Amino acid sequence: MHLSPVDYVILILYFAFVIGIGWRLRKSVTSAGEFLTAGHHVPVWITSLAFLAANLGAQEVVGMAASGAKYGIMTSHFYWVGAVPAMLFIGVFMMPFYYGSKARSVPEYLKMRFDEKTRGLNAITFAVMTLFSSGISMYALAKMFNLVLGWDFNSSVLLSGAIVLAYTYLGGLTSAIYNEVLQFFLIVLGFSPLAILSVRRAGGWAGMQQRLPDVMTHAWRYVGHADQNPMGVEAFGLIAGLGFVLSFGYWCTDFLVVQRAMAADSMSAARRTPLIAAFPKMIMPFIVILPGVAALALTKMGSGYSLPQKGGGYDYDQALTTLMAQFYPSGMLGVGLTALMASFMSGMAGNVTAFNTVFTYDIYQGYIRPNASDRHYLTVGRVTTVVGILLSIATAYLAAQFNDIMDFLQLVFGFVNAPLFATFLLGMFWKRATGHGAFIGLLSGTAAAALTHGLTEAEGKGAWITNLHVFPSQMAQNFWIAIFAWSTCLLITIAVSLATAPHPDSRLRGLVYGLTELPSDEGVSWYRRPVPLAIVVAVALVFLNLIFL
Amino acid sequence: MLDLRLPSGFFFAITGLILVATSFTQPRAAMTEANVDLYTGLVMIAFAAILLLLALRSRRA
Repeated sequence: MHLSPVDYVILILYFAFVIGIGWRLRKSVTSAGEFLTAGHHVPVWITSLAFLAANLGAQEVVGMAASGAKYGIMTSHFYWVGAVPAMLFIGVFMMPFYYGSKARSVPEYLKMRFDEKTRGLNAITFAVMTLFSSGISMYALAKMFNLVLGWDFNSSVLLSGAIVLAYTYLGGLTSAIYNEVLQFFLIVLGFSPLAILSVRRAGGWAGMQQRLPDVMTHAWRYVGHADQNPMGVEAFGLIAGLGFVLSFGYWCTDFLVVQRAMAADSMSAARRTPLIAAFPKMIMPFIVILPGVAALALTKMGSGYSLPQKGGGYDYDQALTTLMAQFYPSGMLGVGLTALMASFMSGMAGNVTAFNTVFTYDIYQGYIRPNASDRHYLTVGRVTTVVGILLSIATAYLAAQFNDIMDFLQLVFGFVNAPLFATFLLGMFWKRATGHGAFIGLLSGTAAAALTHGLTEAEGKGAWITNLHVFPSQMAQNFWIAIFAWSTCLLITIAVSLATAPHPDSRLRGLVYGLTELPSDEGVSWYRRPVPLAIVVAVALVFLNLIFL
Repeated sequence: MLDLRLPSGFFFAITGLILVATSFTQPRAAMTEANVDLYTGLVMIAFAAILLLLALRSRRA
């Protein structure tokens, strides 16, 4: 792919705006709260788009186009099954407890609701995982820029790290959130034309249906049995594993996204944040997945475009960038690359701003220096931002050197995350759940995840204890690991809670269903109320699934 | 507090203008006859105008 000067002009213009936003916001950062939690005064349209954009990293954009080419429209399950229902749940049911508890982070909520050790476990694992995922995506992106544009690996890593550092150091969470919204606009405006052009060239949706196998253009028709679809998953694993355990575990408990909603200026706005975000989330598959499906159709029809080859098959990861090279002239090519760079940088900024909050409040204030001045914590927050970015960069180089270790770590992170939602569900809706129960439940859930992986095999992976079952795909294996981990955590937490002394009601006020006054929204117009908003989203969601049945 | 609609509006206005200007000098892309730069540039300018108008209106209020 060849860039001309105008493409670089657009990229540099974007960098200038991003840093300019941080510069303009620097004066409003006067306390640790402003820096780390945006002081609870960000307008709801901004928190909503940031809620969505924080998850829309460059790996997601490139990866979804790749999955579109590999699995077809079934990929939309990652949005319609694997995200939107969980977003409705957190907005309607969970946000009153998060926002109402006045906790500054998700681990801090766990401390209030359960105990210190549960908070410590969550805070430390979250902090480590955030840094690693930031570094891993940095590595993936620098490698891609190297492959597609010939950019030097070191320069990409250092330049993007420096820019993210500049704007998060200056403006803190507010700056990160503002730039996530700018990135979201850029993704939509930068990739919608690609979707329109590539689908039109492939003969429209009808033309693609004719040219591709039936299974590529139907989301539900072939999930009855794992053999029938290229993902190798069946309906129960898909709905329970992806749609319930993994999706609710991410969207309802991951501090990276929850932090965006908690930055909203009122309880009502915090609840509406994920609900409003669900509208654009539902439509994202048309922008990020359809180009991938079109790439496959174009390859099959001998249009002059072909997916690049790799080791006897297609190199799906290059679907997006090769399409851009064919459909975008200079100018739009710059916009598309800027959008990729932007989504990558804001993904990193999201990780760093979540990391510095958890480190400052949950680790430093929690265990190292509890009673310092706010000014001191502001300094710690700023220093942590610098350290966080340096550690991400170090991780990116580690990933470049030791690919196997990174794969292993990601596997372990999966084990840690899988049971989380059971802990939150019980914590918020069952007042009898205790700290000991939650802690032991989480550890058992993680152990169950590891055990499931050790006893089953998929695509040659796993079964390091003995092989009891073979899954048709790694995706199916992941879904089932999540199901076992979640169920184990749920059962063990209940059992241990019943065997240990209950927390007194006085300690649980504002934290648990039944002991919390739920916010009333009477007299507010319907589109400002969470429940009617959620119903509109749900109806639209069913409609979309029916169209692509 | 900075109104995000202002910097976003200015960014897309400038990028849109760059694209429109580029569209007259650059050759088309390999796989499409459409003038992608011109159309996207115009959409960006329209989007920027909406953002800036909204920001201006809430400033006056």
